[in-house]
Amino acid sequence: MNNTDLVKQGLKKRYLKELIFKSMGIFSIVIAILFLLMLLTDITIKALPAFSQTKIELEVQIDADRLNIEANSPNEVLMAADFRLVIRDALLKRFPEVKSRKDKRELYSLTSMGAEYQLRDMVIDDPNLLGQTLKVKFMADDDVDAVIKGSIDRSLPESDRRVKDQKLSWITALESNGQISSGFNWHFFSSGDSREPEMAGIKGAILGSLYTLLVTLALSFPVAVSAAIYLEEFAPKNRFIDFIEININNLAAVPSIVFGLLGLAVFINFFSLPRSAPVVGGIVLSLMTLPTIIIASRSAIKAVPPSLREAALGLGASKMQSVFHHVLPAALPGILTGTIIGMAQALGETAPLLMIGMVAFIVDIPQSVVDPSTVLPIQVFLWADSPERGFLEKTSAAIMVLLFFLIAMNAIAIYLRKKFEKKW
Amino acid sequence: MNEAVFNKLAEPTMKIKSTPETEDSLNIKYTATVGQPQCENAKFITRNVNVFYADNQAIHDVSLDIGAHEVIALIGPSGCGKSTYLRCLNRMNDTIDICKVEGQILLDNENIYTKKQDPVLLRARVGMVFQKPNPFPKSIYDNVAYGPRIHGLTKNKSELDDLVEESLIKAGLFQEVKDRLQAPGTGLSGGQQQRLCIARTIAIQPEVILMDEPASALDPIATAKIEELINELKENFTIVIVTHSMQQAARVSQRTAYFHMGRLIEVGDTDQIFTNPSHDLTEKYITGRFG
Repeated sequence: MNNTDLVKQGLKKRYLKELIFKSMGIFSIVIAILFLLMLLTDITIKALPAFSQTKIELEVQIDADRLNIEANSPNEVLMAADFRLVIRDALLKRFPEVKSRKDKRELYSLTSMGAEYQLRDMVIDDPNLLGQTLKVKFMADDDVDAVIKGSIDRSLPESDRRVKDQKLSWITALESNGQISSGFNWHFFSSGDSREPEMAGIKGAILGSLYTLLVTLALSFPVAVSAAIYLEEFAPKNRFIDFIEININNLAAVPSIVFGLLGLAVFINFFSLPRSAPVVGGIVLSLMTLPTIIIASRSAIKAVPPSLREAALGLGASKMQSVFHHVLPAALPGILTGTIIGMAQALGETAPLLMIGMVAFIVDIPQSVVDPSTVLPIQVFLWADSPERGFLEKTSAAIMVLLFFLIAMNAIAIYLRKKFEKKW
Repeated sequence: MNEAVFNKLAEPTMKIKSTPETEDSLNIKYTATVGQPQCENAKFITRNVNVFYADNQAIHDVSLDIGAHEVIALIGPSGCGKSTYLRCLNRMNDTIDICKVEGQILLDNENIYTKKQDPVLLRARVGMVFQKPNPFPKSIYDNVAYGPRIHGLTKNKSELDDLVEESLIKAGLFQEVKDRLQAPGTGLSGGQQQRLCIARTIAIQPEVILMDEPASALDPIATAKIEELINELKENFTIVIVTHSMQQAARVSQRTAYFHMGRLIEVGDTDQIFTNPSHDLTEKYITGRFG
């Protein structure tokens, strides 16, 4: 038998192996995509109701006497006025048959607690509204919202239903009268957390995440890139440097909650930095992000061809000039990609921030890095923990917002890499 | 693979005589360098240069003068140390941690391996062109302007423009690229890239240009252009060129130095080296008996 025959004999087996490997690869990819689709569909379906909000239109008479204020009062007086009274009057006017105290209380709960603030803000914006009678679409309570969205089944027997027959009849009456409408839930993106599901918004968490990431980026990027440049280009090759390298790699593998404990002990207890503040969260997360960026930057710098350094040195550039004029620009795509991946990691990080108090219930929207705030993943955690039905959809909506930011960051990473990539 | 092939491979090679001659078979006794390693009007004077890579000695006791405004070719088989020697002349070996240089290397009678000598200043005086064209991933203009910019050689934009143009003209590239100075230097052909690298080097007006096999990655036409360029450049610069092509050495250089296993075997006028070499090894190399 000559060689050609021997090769021919083995060919079939070789191709078969290739085929098996290929189909295994395709199978794995299909499984991965399937799981991803399952996750995304589940979250999207659960989150969609959170993006619309039910409103009840009522004819409300904004009577200054009823509010116990005078016309042309300053804003402080308007702020203190009890707008609940006029909304209650409007509800009673709509349903005059309600008499008993218990029924009245039930009736008043048709609109959200936020309705009075809604009305108050309208009057503050336009004081001429005082004394007028106008139709206003008030935010509905989460139970009404749930009935309208169908998450509470009207056909269930009264004993199994959260919304009782009486209230349901009011809702039906309002509905048939065209007084119930539904619109995009801007409130969700413009307000902070709340105990009332219909009033809870994500803006506080988005800003908290933003401030935290800004602190993280400002601290970790310069430090990590300098460390990577020094280790790659300037550091002598000795045991001490090897030891540092090993430790940086180990740092990347430390469980993140440990960084949280460190942050609590060092930054809050020792340095007395404010609790629950993005500045502390940012410092803790930058400790966590540092090794990621250092490792990515080092491999990017290492990948720059040595001929480029030689060319610069051969022209009489100093070491520093050769690094900053040539090596760094060439390594920039890799460094930026690593940085954004590190940032994305930090954005999704929950455990260390629990330790430094960012898990607190905070209604106010943070105005600076030292204000108490929470972050997106912790908002998800908090809402997932709440018993009210309305928070279920909010949880999924918050996850969608978080995923949106993650995808956006990755898209930016890809864009930057393409933009700064140069061929040689 | 069948048995016959296996047997053939396993069989110890007894017929050493038929294989190319190696150092062992030649039984070489290294002697002092033959020829004229010294010259009058020397730009570089090197004495007893030894170079080590960790424990491995790459260059043994090389003493050689490089005259002002001459083209000297360093030839020899691969791994003979000619590139290492070349890189000693502008201290490019400094970048290699394990490399150690001993002996004296004098540029204009000043030792370049002292603490006092600044490698940055030295490299501004002794430029280098590498084997593989390595333009910066920037525009053609910026490639040439980089050296003058970092050294602050020009006062304003128009002076810099003139210098860039002049350098490109000297490198014989201006006609080909004058309409696209802002195009990336990496988009040029291999030969053009190498001439761009030469233009970049002469833009800082060094006194000496070191060329490490500048044409080895180029086709014959591009090579011919580079050689022509070297002939023109020798008016203004001292050129040290490492080459694998003996024809190239014969065409461009006035003197030739033959290296073998880290030792400088013979130095002499190029004509004499190629027509009437004194040393046995030189003769064997240039007649293609080994290498």
